[in-house]
Amino acid sequence: MRETLRTQVQEVFRDVFGDPDIEIRDAMTADDVDGWDSLMHINLIVAIERRFGIKLATAEISGLKGDDQNIGTFLDLVAGKIGPR
Amino acid sequence: MSGHFGTSADLESALERFLSAPGETRPETLRNLVRALKAAIDAGEKEAARAALRRAILPGLDYTSVQSLLRIHQRLRRELPATPPLVRLAVLSGFTLDQLAPLIDLNLAATGAGADIYTPAFGTFRQEILAADSGLYAFSPKVVFLATGWRDLAHVPLLTDDRDRVRERVRLEVRDLAALWQTLHERLGCQVLQNNFDLPPWRTLSNHDRRHPAGLGSYLAQVNQALAEEAPAFVTLHDVDHLAASAGRWAWHDERFFHHAKMPCAPECLMDYAHSVAAILGAQVGLSRKCLVLDLDNTLWGGVIGDDGLGGIRIGQGDAESEAFQAFQKYVKGLKDRGVILAVCSKNEDHIAREVFEKHPEMILRLDDIATFVANWDDKATNLRTIALNLNIGLNSLVLADDNPVERALVRRLAPEVAVPELPVDPAGYVQAIERHRYFELVSLGKEDFKRAEYYRVQAVREQAQASAASVEEFLESLQMTARVGPIDTATLERSAQLIARSNQFNLTTRRRSTAEILALTGDDSWITLTVALADRFGDYGLISVLLARVREDRVEIDTWLMSCRVLKRTVEDLVLNHLAEAARRRGGRLLRGDYIPTPKNDLVRQHYPRLGFQPAGAGDSGSTSWDLPIAEDWQPRRHFISVTRGEA
Repeated sequence: MRETLRTQVQEVFRDVFGDPDIEIRDAMTADDVDGWDSLMHINLIVAIERRFGIKLATAEISGLKGDDQNIGTFLDLVAGKIGPR
Repeated sequence: MSGHFGTSADLESALERFLSAPGETRPETLRNLVRALKAAIDAGEKEAARAALRRAILPGLDYTSVQSLLRIHQRLRRELPATPPLVRLAVLSGFTLDQLAPLIDLNLAATGAGADIYTPAFGTFRQEILAADSGLYAFSPKVVFLATGWRDLAHVPLLTDDRDRVRERVRLEVRDLAALWQTLHERLGCQVLQNNFDLPPWRTLSNHDRRHPAGLGSYLAQVNQALAEEAPAFVTLHDVDHLAASAGRWAWHDERFFHHAKMPCAPECLMDYAHSVAAILGAQVGLSRKCLVLDLDNTLWGGVIGDDGLGGIRIGQGDAESEAFQAFQKYVKGLKDRGVILAVCSKNEDHIAREVFEKHPEMILRLDDIATFVANWDDKATNLRTIALNLNIGLNSLVLADDNPVERALVRRLAPEVAVPELPVDPAGYVQAIERHRYFELVSLGKEDFKRAEYYRVQAVREQAQASAASVEEFLESLQMTARVGPIDTATLERSAQLIARSNQFNLTTRRRSTAEILALTGDDSWITLTVALADRFGDYGLISVLLARVREDRVEIDTWLMSCRVLKRTVEDLVLNHLAEAARRRGGRLLRGDYIPTPKNDLVRQHYPRLGFQPAGAGDSGSTSWDLPIAEDWQPRRHFISVTRGEA
């Protein structure tokens, strides 16, 4: 389940960052992804919302790049929004 | 070489699949297109990639798809030699422009205009305008876009304000903006593009919000109305409130992105916003489309006239789909009435197709609405070339409305300059399918626009008169032409600006100027401005020629000379030259200097100056030529066949 989601989110990252080689791992943070600035942040949120048909709250959008956040917590957030499938 | 061929063929087919894809399959076709674009760029086919990219930029694209195309656009810009952009734009705003400005740039690239864009930090627009040493003035834009939103308004009323107090606040609001426009105009001589104000979706006064004078909805509507009534000619209004309403106000106002990043609207609405801005800026540099070409069977009516006959085709009242076809015709007629040229391009027998226009009682469009009517069995790309030739306009001025996907694909491939929007299967969707592309954006709207379609119709009658006249002189005499000649003034400013922005063929130098810049010239003693309006016994053409010249001691340099192609070979040029020589002499001029700067479209006037008796005076870069005409006492005015009813001031 988790691995399927990771692959799907990774596809979105590849589209958004225009880089077909990006591999995402739980421990990665925004700083580890080249070009993840505030503009790309918006692009990523929009693409994720569209791909999974979910809506992130204002605080979740702003909090994604916080100190205790990484790809792992991001996947948790998306998984929680999608709900059990 | 085979790999080379493969790349461009792949690109072509990826583009067609993308352009013809229905909404749900578009993301997949986009991914293919992006791959094909990258492959083409890697193979060195960068110009082909740029051409394909331009055609892929559509107003309805989702935000994420647009970002992929934007990245390719930005890569091509780095890797291809720069072409001089037609639009030099500053965007000043009260919100963040990080997303919007690049999309305006992308859409201007799609129109072919290209742009240099200056964007200072958001929220600084007043400082940028007021401080004479700001980055804005160092950049020196030709157009300033004041991208304001209602949160930038400074005089929003209190609920306790009465009607008079609110009216006063509206006045203050417009006064504040007018002061900014005036400063920009004085310091830059630029055109200003001003947003109106988008009403928010919430209404704290519920249904009283539009009725109570101090309700926010009521207030914004009053400010918008005041802007529409009071903005001067150098200010163009951008109807953002219409964009918000069309998108749906709650969808437009995704407040999460305002709180998080101070974005003006939801990300998914930004492309439409940018497309709307680019359409206006494109129109100002002459890139609007001019002619809507219509297919007939299943486009203007349901059914096939050749098979079903006059009684069998579906158009008119009584049946839902027939009404939808009629509603589409009403929309098209509305476009025609404001100056869009209509043409027919149909695979049909000519007389059978015409009969519908002549005899069917429920038809809205009639033969005299159609400037040129082509019904035969040739391929449509060839026929579209004939139509462009008949009307004396470029292929890139045409839009084709055709229900048949095969015809659309063929025209896209063989005549890529023609815009070919996808039409849905249901005719009730035709209006939106065309409207959303903003093909026919206007610079300004004057009475000339309402008459244009009539000119093209009368042209046909005139050509018959030419056939029956024995000689050219007799023909010209028989037209009984009269001209009104004068400088550019308040009455002729808007139409002159329109011609300067739009004329391509009879245009010696193709120098574009905004209304504001033209206005500045009319007040400058070292400039001569001339306009000619022409009428003949068949009708009134309105203002058809503009000339701008600069006096430098005894030499008068012709900066701009253009004319509408509707009045070619009518001796208007001779009349204009006589008036120019007279005006030049009055200011001590002894020599006229004219330049011809070639473009892909103005070959028509390559020999303009020698034809008028000018002598060669040198050649410049990229094929431009200079010409001199001494106008001392022995110069004789040119012969023409036009009587002048009002002389130059």
